[in-house]
Amino acid sequence: MVAILEKRNLRDFDWLTALLAVAIVSFGVWQIYNAQPTESYWSKQITGLFIALVALTVIAATDYRRVIDAAPIFYGLSLVLLLLVLTPLGVKVNGQQAWLKLPIIGQFQPSEFVKIPTILMLAKYFGARKLGSLKLREILTGALILAAPVGLILLEPDAGQAMTYFPLLAVVLFLSAIKVRYVLLTIVAGLIFMPLAYYVGVETGKIKGYQQERIKVILDPESADPRGYGYHTVQSMITVGKGGLSGIKGDTETSQSVLKFLPEPHTDFIFAVTAENTGFIGCISLLLAYAMLLSRLIAGARQAPDRAGMLVIMAIVGSLTFQIFINVGMALGFLPVIGVPLPLMSAGLSAVLSTFIAIGFVISVKMRRFVN
Amino acid sequence: MKLYDQAQNLGIRVGSIQVIAFVLLAILGARLYYLQVVKGDYYSDKAENQRIRLIPIPAPRGAIFDRQGKLLVDSRPTYNITLSNEPIKKIDISDRIEDYARGLNVDRQYLIERINLIKKQPGFETMVLKENATIQDITWVAAHESEYPELRIELQPQRFYPLGKTLAHVLGYVGEISPKQLEKPEVIEKGFRPGDIVGKGGLEQYYDEFLRGKPGYRKVIVDSRGRVQSEIEVVQPQAGQDLVSTIDLDLQLAAEEQLANSSTKRGMIISMDPNNGEILVMASAPSFDPNSFVTRIATPEGRKEIAQYYTDKERPLLNRAIQGRYPPGSTWKIPESVAALQQGAITTKSNSIVCGGGIQVGNRFTRDTSGNHGTPNLPSAITHSCDGYYYRLALKMGVQGLVKMVETFDYDKRSGIDLPNEKISQTPKSWMPIVVKNEGKWNDIRTVFAAIGQDTVVVTPIAMIRAVSSVGVQGKMFVPHLLKEFKAIGAIGEEGEANYVPPRQSFGFQHPEPKIIEMTPEQNKMVLEGMWGVVNNGGTAGRFKNPNFEIAGKTGTAQVSEIGSGGAKDHAWFVSFAPAYKPEIAVIGLIENSGFGASNAAPAVIGVYNAYLLKNHSDLLGGQQMAKK
Repeated sequence: MVAILEKRNLRDFDWLTALLAVAIVSFGVWQIYNAQPTESYWSKQITGLFIALVALTVIAATDYRRVIDAAPIFYGLSLVLLLLVLTPLGVKVNGQQAWLKLPIIGQFQPSEFVKIPTILMLAKYFGARKLGSLKLREILTGALILAAPVGLILLEPDAGQAMTYFPLLAVVLFLSAIKVRYVLLTIVAGLIFMPLAYYVGVETGKIKGYQQERIKVILDPESADPRGYGYHTVQSMITVGKGGLSGIKGDTETSQSVLKFLPEPHTDFIFAVTAENTGFIGCISLLLAYAMLLSRLIAGARQAPDRAGMLVIMAIVGSLTFQIFINVGMALGFLPVIGVPLPLMSAGLSAVLSTFIAIGFVISVKMRRFVN
Repeated sequence: MKLYDQAQNLGIRVGSIQVIAFVLLAILGARLYYLQVVKGDYYSDKAENQRIRLIPIPAPRGAIFDRQGKLLVDSRPTYNITLSNEPIKKIDISDRIEDYARGLNVDRQYLIERINLIKKQPGFETMVLKENATIQDITWVAAHESEYPELRIELQPQRFYPLGKTLAHVLGYVGEISPKQLEKPEVIEKGFRPGDIVGKGGLEQYYDEFLRGKPGYRKVIVDSRGRVQSEIEVVQPQAGQDLVSTIDLDLQLAAEEQLANSSTKRGMIISMDPNNGEILVMASAPSFDPNSFVTRIATPEGRKEIAQYYTDKERPLLNRAIQGRYPPGSTWKIPESVAALQQGAITTKSNSIVCGGGIQVGNRFTRDTSGNHGTPNLPSAITHSCDGYYYRLALKMGVQGLVKMVETFDYDKRSGIDLPNEKISQTPKSWMPIVVKNEGKWNDIRTVFAAIGQDTVVVTPIAMIRAVSSVGVQGKMFVPHLLKEFKAIGAIGEEGEANYVPPRQSFGFQHPEPKIIEMTPEQNKMVLEGMWGVVNNGGTAGRFKNPNFEIAGKTGTAQVSEIGSGGAKDHAWFVSFAPAYKPEIAVIGLIENSGFGASNAAPAVIGVYNAYLLKNHSDLLGGQQMAKK
């Protein structure tokens, strides 16, 4: 693989970023094993890591500008994939038709991958624009680019995954000279309309009973029905708290996940497993590793040779930050349960692969910083 | 770099995104610190509480045997269906009651009561819904394991009374500790918990502490569905101690047969070894089946049965031997004779008193119910049960003399038998303050009535046999008792271990010193002679004479209602011991409302003697007595 990189490329390759990502995934493999020692999720994750590494190298070696040029094609193709998911080719898991089963490739989750073409499409559109404040027409175009995949994902329905798309547009608009007063206006409007929307949603029945329960348990976990929808949150908090300062130290036979108190321990609640096994020390280390990774990416964005490259990296930063915050916040019991995987940690080939592809783009952008 | 266009503040904007990202991560870190470092112990405990469960292993209760080792009470393994509080703490399960009732075939009303109880008392960890579960019940619970995780199957040794109604009053029964009992501080102190099985009535209650074992437990780890994953620790239960009673089952059965064949089928028989107070027989009729309270308490039929026991006018739950109080009639004349000699109202030299066929007190003549006996001496007055003699004797002793007699023979106390709820007799001693208060004075007529065990005298049979049998053993009045021995039980675990349960030693009844009735051998001999004559010298029970086995006794026919009123018939008494001059066994019998003591109580008592002879000295059995039986 390395052979395809030229000597200069090899020198400019961002080893530290790649290494950080690999380290986090490896740490994740250990936690997946802790979560489900009798299952093969952890070994599948190792396989996934190697596939993802290949993808990362290939993407890094490719000139991102050519890829951005071809963004409409990728974007179009991904919309087709999302449409296919809704056809009988799609596979239903836990009531969500979010997977696609194709010959040779196997089963995967298109909504994880579609994020990248969406980022590229946004980067292409907003990267090409001239200086000056953002016009309403431009904002609407950006919204439309986002609306197509989000709409299709909501049809699966996978509200959690759909939510992770919004930071992409937010970051891109913010960095495309949207007026600060619009930003402030949006924040204020959000603060007012979110509770209002919740109230209207409850009244009209759009927000379902179990979704309400999940929100109520955040406000008062102690009095939640321990066998109802609050169960996941309560058990996750117990699992995290039980880890204490340095984790349960090898007493894995009675862990919350092995005794099945913690649901979905290898995917949505992998952070709780990490907390139980490695304690505060392990968790803070993980959060620091994320912080370092994000810093490396942002540093790369600052050095990007063009606006489109910068937008790609920062959109990825926004997406990763958002997912980390939502997922860990859920595990720590202050955000409602939403099925969002923890980047690089949760078991799942699609998620690891798409994150590595994104990081591959970042490295590609950084490698070409001296070209122009 | 051209990207950093001042107009767009791009650098600042990228920087703010970085700051936002770090602030979000810092929020996560702070929350993490709170959950793991500040509240770590709290959540650790919570995790442990939900995964560790103590499953009690019930301790088998000690068995009860008769003096020859014949089994009287045992426990046998049964399965209970229990309701566990943990999974249903916060949910309403009233909609499941219908399902439980159908699946387990239990009364709906009973289920509602039980579930209300468990909901009200947080102390309940589990609650028995059905005892003696059948294979069908167990299968049903197992099949609904995931649907109703609150239902469990538990092994529970259950008390079993193989003899049914036999000896029921002595044995008592067991049942769940009542909420009322649980309110007492001394009960809480001993660590009793709701749902614990305790003795109720009889030996089961009196010796509960020793019969009851110490339950063990299994400490297990369960998964989120309550399924046991592994065992951390097992502490074996320590069984309760086996009780060997003084009861002789053969004699007991003979006595119960006598009561069953009696005219009213109501009455009691006690047999005691007069040399040490060991109770050989304690029969009370009608009786009840203790199994009703144990195995059938959850079934509608069983609960009806129990309700009937409580409302039955014949009072089957009453242990007539220690709780029944009856006018003693002429049996009263025995302690009275001893007291008269003690107090000097008569002496061994001068003890003849005119009978007169009765006595005139004021304007009222009180008859001697068996005619005119001339001027009998003491033995003759006993033998022929001369009322006139005792009317005059009692007047000579005065009511103070009678009160003194009551004190001498402990008629103002409990006998001290090792059974709960023994009643105290009522006598002129207890009645005098009341009579004086109501009537202004104690009239002589009351002394006359008291002379023949009527009016102000009602005694418990146990007090009577204790007093009368002392005459046979030179005035030694023993505390009657049913405990012969508690068997030893081994320790659980090794000494020094945290869960060590020390062994329990074998022990017998702790005999208090017998009370000595002061009398000279001559005085003793004189009373004995009269009692001997009752059976062996043409006395009131003369037809039961057996020259090989001479019984000393006294009949009694206690008036229950005014003569000629057409009310209930008299109570028939016979109190005795044998052989007369070296007694091995004392027997007292009472048949309620059956008439003459000699024709109703005496045959029942003789039946017990015959069983005793058949078992121990079959060569001494008299042909005549066999015929009477």
